[in-house]
Amino acid sequence: MRPYRAMARIAWRNALAYRVPFLMSLSMLVFNLVAMFALWQALLGDGNSLAGFTWPQMKAYLLVSFFTNCLVSTFTDFAMASRIRSGAVAVDLVKPVDYQKGRFAEALGFALLETAAAATVCAVVLVAFGGVPLPPPGRLALFVASLAAVVPLKFLIVYMCGLICFWTQNYLGISLARVAVSGILSGATVPLAFFPAWLRHVAEALPFQAVTNTPAMLFLGRSPGLPGALAVAVQLLWVVALWWLARRLWHVAVRRLTVHGG
Amino acid sequence: MHTLRVYRRCLGAHLRATLEYQADFWILVVAAVLTQGAGLLLIATIFARVPRIHGWGVWEVVLIFGMMVLAQGASELLAEGTWGLAGLINRGELDRMLLRPYPCLLQVCSSRVGMNAFGNLTVGGGLLGTALAHLDVAWTPGRVALAAVLLPSALLIKVSLTVVANSTSFWLRGAINTFAAGLDQLGELTKYPLSIYSVGLQAVLATALPFAFIGFFPVSAFLDHGRLAWVGLLTPLVAAWCVLLAVAVFRRGLRRYDSAGN
Repeated sequence: MRPYRAMARIAWRNALAYRVPFLMSLSMLVFNLVAMFALWQALLGDGNSLAGFTWPQMKAYLLVSFFTNCLVSTFTDFAMASRIRSGAVAVDLVKPVDYQKGRFAEALGFALLETAAAATVCAVVLVAFGGVPLPPPGRLALFVASLAAVVPLKFLIVYMCGLICFWTQNYLGISLARVAVSGILSGATVPLAFFPAWLRHVAEALPFQAVTNTPAMLFLGRSPGLPGALAVAVQLLWVVALWWLARRLWHVAVRRLTVHGG
Repeated sequence: MHTLRVYRRCLGAHLRATLEYQADFWILVVAAVLTQGAGLLLIATIFARVPRIHGWGVWEVVLIFGMMVLAQGASELLAEGTWGLAGLINRGELDRMLLRPYPCLLQVCSSRVGMNAFGNLTVGGGLLGTALAHLDVAWTPGRVALAAVLLPSALLIKVSLTVVANSTSFWLRGAINTFAAGLDQLGELTKYPLSIYSVGLQAVLATALPFAFIGFFPVSAFLDHGRLAWVGLLTPLVAAWCVLLAVAVFRRGLRRYDSAGN
């Protein structure tokens, strides 16, 4: 445990030391939030409701989606990708720590800061706009649990995308594609309730929806069919399944590594 | 003339170099298509349920969106190198460029080619064509002339604003300019009709950071849509201003440049 704790601490300090890039990448998500707020307010502001969403509910949805977007954003994968491409990953292989757990520890360190920053933004928005229906304490606890499950879940998706760098030279494209695909299938771009039925069924069968859709639906108390606790259980099941899958992928990927000289 | 020819050949050389990595090329093209697809999905979902946003119909919004995508493609093709400016300054590599008998700004611009440019130019062009086909535009000679002036001006604004944003690297001095990325993201707000934002934000996007002149205002003028349609006729003037600004800011920055010391 000790080496991982140290890694998490170093990641946290790193993010604190490079505050400007961190805050700037956060500001990009904030600008997106501003656009979405304005867009949906134009649509729902005068008391309309679309696909069962009223303006206060949509505000809550957008904030939860912003929060999950902030967690485990681009630090883990870009750092990993550059080390794989430069061959510095060889040094990681020599260390007597598990690669996947090590990266996860770092992601946790970052996530602490990301949570603090995202919570601050959400608090400011809540004060400025107000009017978000808060769930009762029992469901709020479930919501917090499901937010916590988002961290390992999103980490695993990001981590597996980072591993693709063992096959390709360029990581930017993979990262952009991941953001787009998971944005669509998680419900971060548009709530899944707006999708045509077939696309919603596809999305519900994939792990992405557990990143944004599950916590947002728990917050709003709209998990059709699934009782809240079960929704969190599904998230955890995905974490276990993806953890195992990521390990398999790592074992295949690492065999492709060729490092020239030293 | 000679200057332009060298610029084209520089870009061509980078293009050939990047095309060597075919898998990466296709990944980036697909990534661009997916990213814009997510944006389109949002527009499509909204307009499946409401006919207009603040008086703007679906194909009008798609036209704005298409302009933004096309402009992004243009800036990735013509000025992608500026995204590396922060690194060039940080490592003192600008020295080399200053020694060559060729404008430094153009060297920086053509020092890289953005591979998503092809995806974005194709998607943007396709969207523009589709939207125009659906909009039932009367192609009088005046209209054609208007389009012929507005389109290149709008693209030029985007390219110039990218240069301005990245020229801040001379003052910020990090190895990566996240400030520019933040500004770029702010510009994304103008993908939607400007009237959905608060008056202050509208004013900023129309004057200080004239991102609204890339899509919203030229499209308003072209379709003669809304009270502010006449503002769009200023697009060529704004373009001229942006080009002058880009050159001036880059020159001012270059005067501050003092190499890396070895």
